Amino acid sequence: MWILRINMANRSYGLEEVPAAYKNLGGRGLTSTFVHDEVPPLAHPLGPNNKLIFAPGIVTGTPASTSARISVGGKSPLTGGIKEANAGSSWAQYLATMQIKALVVEGQPKEKGKYWMAHLTWDASSAKPKAEFFPAQEYAGKDLYEVFPKIYDRFSGKIAIAGCGLAGEYGYANSGIVFNDLSKRPSRYAGRGGLGSVLASKGLKFIVAENKGSPGVAFVDRALFDQGKKKLDEALRTHDITKPKGALNTYGTAVLVNILNEAGGYPTRNFSSGRFEGAAKTSGESIFEGNKERLGKELYNHACSPGCIIQCSNTWHKPDGTEHTSCVEYESDWALGANCGVDSLDDIAEMVRLCNGYGLDTIETGTTLAVAMEAGVIPFGDSKKAIGLVQEMGKGTPMGRILGGGTEFTGKAYGLTRVPTVKRQSMPAYEPRAVKGIGITYATSTMGADHTAGYTIAPEILSIGGQADPLSPEGKAALSRAFQATTAFIDSSGHCLFIAFAILDIASGFEGMVEECNGVLGTSWKSDDAAKVGAEVLRKERAFNEAAGLTKAEDRVPEFMKYEPLPPHNQVFDVPDSALDSVYGEL
Amino acid sequence: MAGIDLDVWLYGALASYGSNSEKKSFSNPKVTLPEGSTLADLLAHLGIPTEERGITFINGQLSALPGLQPDLGHLLCNGDRIGLFDLKSMWPFQYRHGAMMTEEMARAMGAKKDQGLHHTYRKK
Repeated sequence: MWILRINMANRSYGLEEVPAAYKNLGGRGLTSTFVHDEVPPLAHPLGPNNKLIFAPGIVTGTPASTSARISVGGKSPLTGGIKEANAGSSWAQYLATMQIKALVVEGQPKEKGKYWMAHLTWDASSAKPKAEFFPAQEYAGKDLYEVFPKIYDRFSGKIAIAGCGLAGEYGYANSGIVFNDLSKRPSRYAGRGGLGSVLASKGLKFIVAENKGSPGVAFVDRALFDQGKKKLDEALRTHDITKPKGALNTYGTAVLVNILNEAGGYPTRNFSSGRFEGAAKTSGESIFEGNKERLGKELYNHACSPGCIIQCSNTWHKPDGTEHTSCVEYESDWALGANCGVDSLDDIAEMVRLCNGYGLDTIETGTTLAVAMEAGVIPFGDSKKAIGLVQEMGKGTPMGRILGGGTEFTGKAYGLTRVPTVKRQSMPAYEPRAVKGIGITYATSTMGADHTAGYTIAPEILSIGGQADPLSPEGKAALSRAFQATTAFIDSSGHCLFIAFAILDIASGFEGMVEECNGVLGTSWKSDDAAKVGAEVLRKERAFNEAAGLTKAEDRVPEFMKYEPLPPHNQVFDVPDSALDSVYGEL
Repeated sequence: MAGIDLDVWLYGALASYGSNSEKKSFSNPKVTLPEGSTLADLLAHLGIPTEERGITFINGQLSALPGLQPDLGHLLCNGDRIGLFDLKSMWPFQYRHGAMMTEEMARAMGAKKDQGLHHTYRKK
């Protein structure tokens, strides 16, 4: 395995052996360790001293299901703290099978506004990966839907693409890193935290990977890996949420729209209500029925990346049955829908398509539009004008640039107090005043408000978690800590977080995930080691944040949530600061 | 005896049990039942077998999950909003932790050894 370093100051690369201390790391554990060890905490995120690290997970590149995950890390232009965002794409597998444990992009060219692309291949003669650099100016300033086919045409082999869009070129704090899906769409994003602009700041527009002839992932104990895979696959294939034609495969992640809306926890019109009267029209059930009506047949969802059993990615179709966009995820659907008072799936899909084309994070974009609506820039519910604002972001107009700065930046520009951010990252689609547990995780996550930070716990510690009253603030804080630590392990394993749905209920599935990792690494982790390994990752992230100036004073939800009751339950966020401080205070 | 008016939302496969299904993905029948009616009475009125429903809400409070239905005897009141979901729907634990539950549901969760930290309670 190799650490591949690309230095964009002179477009050179070097290969290093993996240090012993990094041997058992992967995915988020590895990218966060690099950021912790190598990025000066006070570096400007878009300056020469920030680094962008790509790392496949521990089992990425193996036949493990849902394991084509790539973790991307760096200092965030949005939060000013550490950032890890991950995505599913064949690109992840290509890196892993070329035995690239991590790709570190560093340095910065002297020329501003010039772009290159890197081409990573396996060099059979030296039995090592190699990198070549080409000018990429011809791809700059363009929509990714226009550019991706040109890159696929340019290379004769089977390639995978990582890169940034216009949003990255403009230096937006809400730009993501794009990866290809299985149909060559620019639709899989490591979306949050502005990492697209970090890539662009290096003058690197695309990283094309081609793994022909590569040796694949080495196993220490293949039999143990196979045993683990069997257990995990069995859990995924039988659980109601993850099985074929189950919740996610049928309705996609937007299955949650009607649920959160009924619960009164579906943030509406910039977090001013917990219920949206138009929610049912934009739900996963409506996407399924809408496609059925327009296509004349049932359409189940597809895999975002190779080898996934869950297959939750949807495609929305136009009235004439042609494809409009993929994928209308729950959070995108909500951010550009209910949170903006918009109930048209066609207009939501158009905004998702534009975000994909420009390289924008759909969540941050939607929450920013809602803040602009609150400011009176356009009315709530006016989806045509909302589409116009997203287009301004793509054009880089002065208004577009304000919006590109993100939700908090836009809120400041208009002097608003109802700005739903933590550590300058906007909240996703779960209202902390109605769902207090997620509020604790939003407040304390090292990433800023992040719905993927606390996903599950090991079955073994369910009983420990249950010792504290899960309804008390202290009990909720203890659970959030356990959830965040175990999630950091899954993010390191290379698995999609959605395996969490099955393995929380089916203990053998959790065991299987850990055995898969042991089979690759030769470790002897047990299920309850997952939280310990994950906690180490959190400690590094937390240490980086504190050195960057993000202390526990920032582990808070925005003040308005403490004094504005949220309809329909009319609750405020009343978790005491002491409980929030205990999440990391007792890590 | 005076009746109670209920605002009922049926989602996914349950939508077809609503008489005014404008969309196939959901329906919103307005139901009037005698005072003193329970959730079980509402299900009988709609013709929904209780085993076909999963996540259920009464006035935005979680009252049932797949395989855990402590709400059949819940007394309904005039103006109540009831949301019924099919078995394909989901509400993962991390996204409902700390959300409001009916009293019966809170007791049922509390009685579980693991305090209800699961996604589903359905027997395979």
